[in-house]
Amino acid sequence: MKIIDLEFKGIKFLFFVIIIYILIFLFDGEKSILALTKSFEILLKLLPIFVMIIFITTLINYFLKPKMIMKHFGKDSGIKAWIYSIIGGIVSHGPMYIWYPMLSEFRKNGLKDGLLATFMYTRSIKIPFIPIMIDYFGVTFTVVLFTYILLGGILQGILMEALSKKID
Amino acid sequence: MEEKNNIKEAFNKSLKGFLSMFPMLMAILLLLGIFDVYITKDILLSFFISNNFVDTITGTLLGGVLTGNPMISYILGGELTDAGVSLYAVTAFILSWVTIGLVQLPAEVEVFGFRFTFYRTLFTFITTILVSLSTVLTVNWILS
Repeated sequence: MKIIDLEFKGIKFLFFVIIIYILIFLFDGEKSILALTKSFEILLKLLPIFVMIIFITTLINYFLKPKMIMKHFGKDSGIKAWIYSIIGGIVSHGPMYIWYPMLSEFRKNGLKDGLLATFMYTRSIKIPFIPIMIDYFGVTFTVVLFTYILLGGILQGILMEALSKKID
Repeated sequence: MEEKNNIKEAFNKSLKGFLSMFPMLMAILLLLGIFDVYITKDILLSFFISNNFVDTITGTLLGGVLTGNPMISYILGGELTDAGVSLYAVTAFILSWVTIGLVQLPAEVEVFGFRFTFYRTLFTFITTILVSLSTVLTVNWILS
């Protein structure tokens, strides 16, 4: 793999953010350093998740060929695909944006928009943080909220699917 | 031998996909640093006006603008509740914190296209308001 082969995404976005930092540095130098430090701290926290995602994507690339992705998550996929999307959304760790490379690859191979939307919405159920949510808001609230999130995720997926079909 | 090559190929493909997104990830991380420094709890509180429906929309918008570890949204949500903000608004806030994420929208547009991102965000906005209202109404009904 050569660096020259890579098609970088977000160069303009990064350039725009760097300009914001330069402006903040000129007018409020101390806070720009604080913001940079905070960003670095977040990056350090995310590093293990980055490694995990590269590992998972490698396994998916190895075991799940484009044809299989089409079969399980494409236009002709059935109810199982919805269940996989919901489970995938719930168990996926870290912020949404770090999953973009893998999801982009899936979408190129035929992943339906509805399933992608369901995956993205059900990510709001965070298993590791359930005890904290219960501590702040109670068991009843947590159970009811998660039930509605599941229903909301499916509703969104259905809406996105209907929209895709209408446009096609 | 072929299997080894396939694994190497699969790894290279995933690494390439990840590295191509790296400038985007950096941009989002840098923006998060700015948000963390400039947006305080008092600033957040000043947006709520003690009207359940309006505050639910405000909560959705604020949660959508901010992003980060969901645990922070629970802690902030807990503090907002203690400060008198309605549970409708706080529920919308913690939900949209994870599901919308204004900071990552430019990246989402670049990866999935404008049409997908626009409709997903719109549906997420509507769903979040519906889920928040339904959750609090159901909880109140169960506990009454």
